[in-house]
Amino acid sequence: MAKAENFSVVGRRVQRVEGYEKVTGEARYIADIVLPKMLIGRILRSPYPHARILRIDTGKAERLRGVRAVVTAEDTIKKPWGAFFADQYPLSVGKVRYVGEEVAAVAALDRDTAEEALDLIDIEWEELPAVFDAEEAMKEGAPLVHEDKERNIAMAIDVERGDIEKAFAESDLIVEETFQSMPQWHCAIETIGSVAEYSPGGKYTIYMNTQTLFNARYRIAAALGVRETDVRIIQSAVGGGFGGKSCDDNNALVAAILARKAGKPVKIINTREEEFLAGSRPRVFMKIDVKMGFKKDGRIRAKQTRVIADNGAYSAKAPAIMGVAALRHDTCYKYTDVKTQAYLVYTNKVPTGAFRGFGNPSAEWAVEQAIDKAAHELGIDPLEIARMNAAEPGYVSPHGNRVISCELKQCIDMAGKMMDWKNKRANRQANTGLGLACTVHVSGKRHFGDYDGSSATIKINEDGKALILSGEGEAGQGCFTTMCAIAAEELGVPIEDVEISQADTDLTTFCLGAFASRLTYISGNAVRDAASKVKQQLFEQAAEMLEANPEDLLSHDGKIFVKGAEHKALTVGDVARARLFRNGGAPIVASGMFDADSVLQDSTRYGNESGAYNYGCQAAEVEVDRDTGQVRILQYVCASDCGTVIYPIGAEGQVEGAVAQGIGYALIEGLRFEDGRPVNPNFSDYRIPSMRDMPPLKHAFADSYEPTGPFGAKGLGELGMDPTAAVISNAIFDAVGVRIKTLPITPEKVLRALKEKNLEKS
Amino acid sequence: MKRRVVLKVNGEDYDVEIEPNRLLLQALREDVGLTGTKEGCSIGVCGACSVVVDGRLVSSCLTLAVSCQGKEITTIEGLAKDGKLHPVQQAFLEYGGFQCGICTPGQIIAAKALLDENPKPSEEEVKEWMSGNLCRCTGYYKILESVMAVVNNKVSPDFQLKRERQAAKIQSVGVYKAVSKTN
Repeated sequence: MAKAENFSVVGRRVQRVEGYEKVTGEARYIADIVLPKMLIGRILRSPYPHARILRIDTGKAERLRGVRAVVTAEDTIKKPWGAFFADQYPLSVGKVRYVGEEVAAVAALDRDTAEEALDLIDIEWEELPAVFDAEEAMKEGAPLVHEDKERNIAMAIDVERGDIEKAFAESDLIVEETFQSMPQWHCAIETIGSVAEYSPGGKYTIYMNTQTLFNARYRIAAALGVRETDVRIIQSAVGGGFGGKSCDDNNALVAAILARKAGKPVKIINTREEEFLAGSRPRVFMKIDVKMGFKKDGRIRAKQTRVIADNGAYSAKAPAIMGVAALRHDTCYKYTDVKTQAYLVYTNKVPTGAFRGFGNPSAEWAVEQAIDKAAHELGIDPLEIARMNAAEPGYVSPHGNRVISCELKQCIDMAGKMMDWKNKRANRQANTGLGLACTVHVSGKRHFGDYDGSSATIKINEDGKALILSGEGEAGQGCFTTMCAIAAEELGVPIEDVEISQADTDLTTFCLGAFASRLTYISGNAVRDAASKVKQQLFEQAAEMLEANPEDLLSHDGKIFVKGAEHKALTVGDVARARLFRNGGAPIVASGMFDADSVLQDSTRYGNESGAYNYGCQAAEVEVDRDTGQVRILQYVCASDCGTVIYPIGAEGQVEGAVAQGIGYALIEGLRFEDGRPVNPNFSDYRIPSMRDMPPLKHAFADSYEPTGPFGAKGLGELGMDPTAAVISNAIFDAVGVRIKTLPITPEKVLRALKEKNLEKS
Repeated sequence: MKRRVVLKVNGEDYDVEIEPNRLLLQALREDVGLTGTKEGCSIGVCGACSVVVDGRLVSSCLTLAVSCQGKEITTIEGLAKDGKLHPVQQAFLEYGGFQCGICTPGQIIAAKALLDENPKPSEEEVKEWMSGNLCRCTGYYKILESVMAVVNNKVSPDFQLKRERQAAKIQSVGVYKAVSKTN
């Protein structure tokens, strides 16, 4: 097992590679991009949750001074698109299915003119009955969101492993509860935007703040009816993604359609309101019935869930998200007999989609509370029940997920130690309580075709600096620094001698992008492979120059030398120049690749989702004010198993940021819906945590090494927010004996639950 | 009707012709061409558009540009002097006080405004002041750490450009060595 202490770059507190640009305001985000003759685009959105479009008259808008193009579905090929199900159009064809849907758009010389023109578009509507609740939508006779989807069911999962009836019959305790999760918006401080241009030769060039460039290219090309190569996506700096910028929305498509019609570049930046209504696809909200059977000693015997997931009007990534909510948790503990039935249901609401954690936060909100309930009923310490059931290396989940490295038990112990769990449990203060929950996440997920790989090219410039060409992109999470650190470690050069290119679909090989906590593990392996090939080329050239065998060479700190003869070292630049500037010369360049050793799930959902699984345990100590229902987190702790930590500042930041989003999800985030429309979609009504909302936090990384990962690393990004809501709810139960079953946990809900409990008593 | 206004930004005068309803945010980004100031919420809640006007921290998305005639405006672009970063910028780099970077100009400007007024704020005062600047990436721990590093003179004096080598500290990945953040 390689130890972090032996690394030169990996595991060191290096500076972020694009940090200087970010602290000086020089980094160029999508809103900062200005092209010559660029127009501003604005989108006309549906005011109705469900309505037929009888007629659109754009004449007045077209005649407004300063308007350069007005587009509707008539300017498109009317072909639906989508990540898994092709069910949405760039601009509405025939009818609209949610408030905010894109109906028409204008490009004009400035924003005011574009907005004025939107008001001049005349539309005749026929309102249709709408359905806003997933369970209502599944009933016979409910209005159909898509006419061809019976009972509005987009997808169903029905999986049983083992013998669930027998397992419940053999259980000493059965707990049953229903939990409701809520939509959560990404609230990246930068909204979705794009700048599109079209050349008459037939090529679209689109600057986007997307986190998945090649997926964006594929979807945009399909919706425009062109070849993938006819679309070039260039990533700007991305002001936060969290899943929300994975191109499941129409922003860039509408910009491209306007740019073609206007013959000029068009920029569309979502307003904050648009971002809530129809931009980033909020977390899928789910109602989860969970039933679990336990032996007296706390061992899990059976688990059954029934999931109803609200898809909203279009599918985006919800099909995969629901699959995760139904099945993923079975890799966290040693399960044998499980059953799940899950339904993804269309409603006339905003399409839901990918948000950090995917289906995990919703599933763990339910399952980790059920386990906590069982612990309390059995009189077993929740920490012990987690520990005795925790997955271990070599565990194969009932659905085929094969676990290699797994330090969940270590994480549970670390969380307990950081929290001073045993001592605090023994010396309980009034109205304070402890809660914990565990999680499992993937390092990449095999679900786009039978591929979960990556590739990267590294070239050595004449000055000796290495440049990584990768299409994965940087969404703000720090993967550029991670990739540079991995390349530097493998090449034996300082990290300052490694750069990474902006992601651009024309200049890099195919990359799936940032999702499923995949970049450190998947892309890291591809970068390491490329670096290792480049190093081989360097060593072959250097061997000639040093009159040695390539196998006897070492590289360290940018120098190449024969083992034991460091005084006669060449620099990487010396070697690169010698290879290039000679008769028959060539640059030093190589591509590397990696595809995870995972297995695509079959029709029964059996497979192996990911090449590596990351684990975590979190705990909270809370104090509940019985008079106001306010919950105060006195201490939060977080232990994560992400294998080797490549870039510590980045890794710590991922955990801290994820916990903040988890706390927001647990306690404050949410919007009321009225007739399918989120009410007051803005930052004063949808609150996200601010600095003063953050509790004292301790966190730590497990001593862990994933043999299939680059230098032992695996994924981390999503882990930190998966269990947080359940952790806090479990702690509230421990403090005051009430269990909150719908998110967010507002003081009103706590107070109501306390009152109900008092009534029961008296 | 457009009006001619002189905006004094980071010590330089810019003549701009703008509508009276033009926001300072738009004037800075589109008329002056300084795009370091960012738009996040458009309603003065998130702090991404923070700038300093005559020594006061303001949301440029709520400030009319014409009202800033003759006033001293400081934006993120005005902090580094002669190629040397402001200590707050250095601290954010050294302590990782940012991830995606979109809120960072506002965070740094807000921290600078606080420290100009009160060079030795308590951690509580920093938290209260900085709570007007939202960040969705960091959970704020490293932002707080960065600002407190400036307060406590813990910014490396020689910490400069990204090209300069750092004395790397080895990160412990050992068991039970918690990275502790107190609050």
